Amino acid sequence: MATSHVDVPGEPTETGTALLETATGTIQGFQPINNIHQHLCAFHFYAHDMTRQVEAHHFCGHLNEDVRQCLIYDSPNKDARLIGIEYIVVESLFLTLPDDEKPLWHSHEFEVKGGYLFMPGVPGMVERQDLKQVCKTYGKVIHFWQDDRGDPLPLGIPQIMMALTRPGQLDENIAKDVEKRFGVSFEEQREQRKDLTGPDHGIHPLANAAGRGLKTELREVDIPPATSMPRVFV
Amino acid sequence: MASSDEKPGPTPVATGDKPTPPGEPTTLSSKILDKGAGMMQSLKPVKEMKQHVCTFALYAHDLSRQIETHHYVGRLNQDVLQCAVYDSDKRKANLIGVEYIISPKLYETLPEEEQKLWHSHAYEIKSGLWVNPGVPQMLEKPELENMACTYGKFWCTWQVDRGDRLPLGAPALMFSPQPVNRGRVRPDLVQRRDEKYKISTEELRESRVDIQEPEIHPNADYWVKHNKGFAVDVKPADMKRLAPFP
Repeated sequence: MATSHVDVPGEPTETGTALLETATGTIQGFQPINNIHQHLCAFHFYAHDMTRQVEAHHFCGHLNEDVRQCLIYDSPNKDARLIGIEYIVVESLFLTLPDDEKPLWHSHEFEVKGGYLFMPGVPGMVERQDLKQVCKTYGKVIHFWQDDRGDPLPLGIPQIMMALTRPGQLDENIAKDVEKRFGVSFEEQREQRKDLTGPDHGIHPLANAAGRGLKTELREVDIPPATSMPRVFV
Repeated sequence: MASSDEKPGPTPVATGDKPTPPGEPTTLSSKILDKGAGMMQSLKPVKEMKQHVCTFALYAHDLSRQIETHHYVGRLNQDVLQCAVYDSDKRKANLIGVEYIISPKLYETLPEEEQKLWHSHAYEIKSGLWVNPGVPQMLEKPELENMACTYGKFWCTWQVDRGDRLPLGAPALMFSPQPVNRGRVRPDLVQRRDEKYKISTEELRESRVDIQEPEIHPNADYWVKHNKGFAVDVKPADMKRLAPFP
């Protein structure tokens, strides 16, 4: 169940390529990337399979006070794989979502109060300032690279993911491994976070896969022949 | 429950004439928290994105829907790249998806069903649609030869172009522009992009004439030969559990 570290296939980066990228990295603008200011570690599982659990490193930026967007990697290291995306919204925005959209989103209350979601390297007191808000939010997570099953490349179709909602869900080995590697104790965090509260209106019954589960499927669709004239745009 | 080719139901967050996304401006305290965290955390994976590419993509279920994309590209090794894709190059750009790029050598190792989900880059690059804003041509040219041979797989998670103010629905597969009628990018989109960066796609096309035309694998750009695109559905399903949920 722990993430298997199959190597990404391919040759080491050539010197010429690396040099060019050092240059482009210096010359070009990276404003959207520079908006990413925060690293959060949490756990996701597949919306159709709770037994497949993934350590998810989120690199997040605020679009505004109510909406964040995160790149999800499989580790906090230089060679980390970009495995997914998460969007985080406050409760008031979640409530505006259509009813068939709400199940794709999950609540954060349990994983925050439980101590399982944390900001590596940030002292608890500072961390809790932000977690106070995160506790009340909802997230939508899509993963593209199933490296937990050893995929060497991002194969298949996107997967909707869910997050922890109650005790007993998180695999103990994964939990202990993360606690050890990051020098955290979920139990200690739980103690410190007792005063945090979840969504003001309670966890919406349609969130968290409407209490059931979700899967994605690919479907072929007819499109007009490649060479036919496209519609004229006015 | 949700499909990438279906417009979401009526909701205040699916009509694009108000700010996208909705919400209050970032508060000072959030900014301070962010700055604080940013100083204490290393954010290493994000620092690996060293290239900005501006190009265009088409929805795999509706080629007439075309978008300008901003890819921030990180390299895993000589054969694999991973990109965070945004709808603009501004600080508050919306994160609209992820694209993976691999070499022809790796593409050939993929099963046939997987290969159908990938698109080629040759036309996109040779036509001048793909640009590295701010990078002198002389610098980018050698790597463009390599890029022109690669294949990409691009999932879009936020259909901003249809007015979604929040990321709604199922993720959508995207395709690349191709040299057939339905695969060509609308001139007004290209013009707007060119004006923004003070470049000329046509001039770039001329300067890239000598980039070798790679042989494109028959399974890539599936729609061109088969007149079929792809959509993704999200459906209710029973979750395999090891504890009660939710």
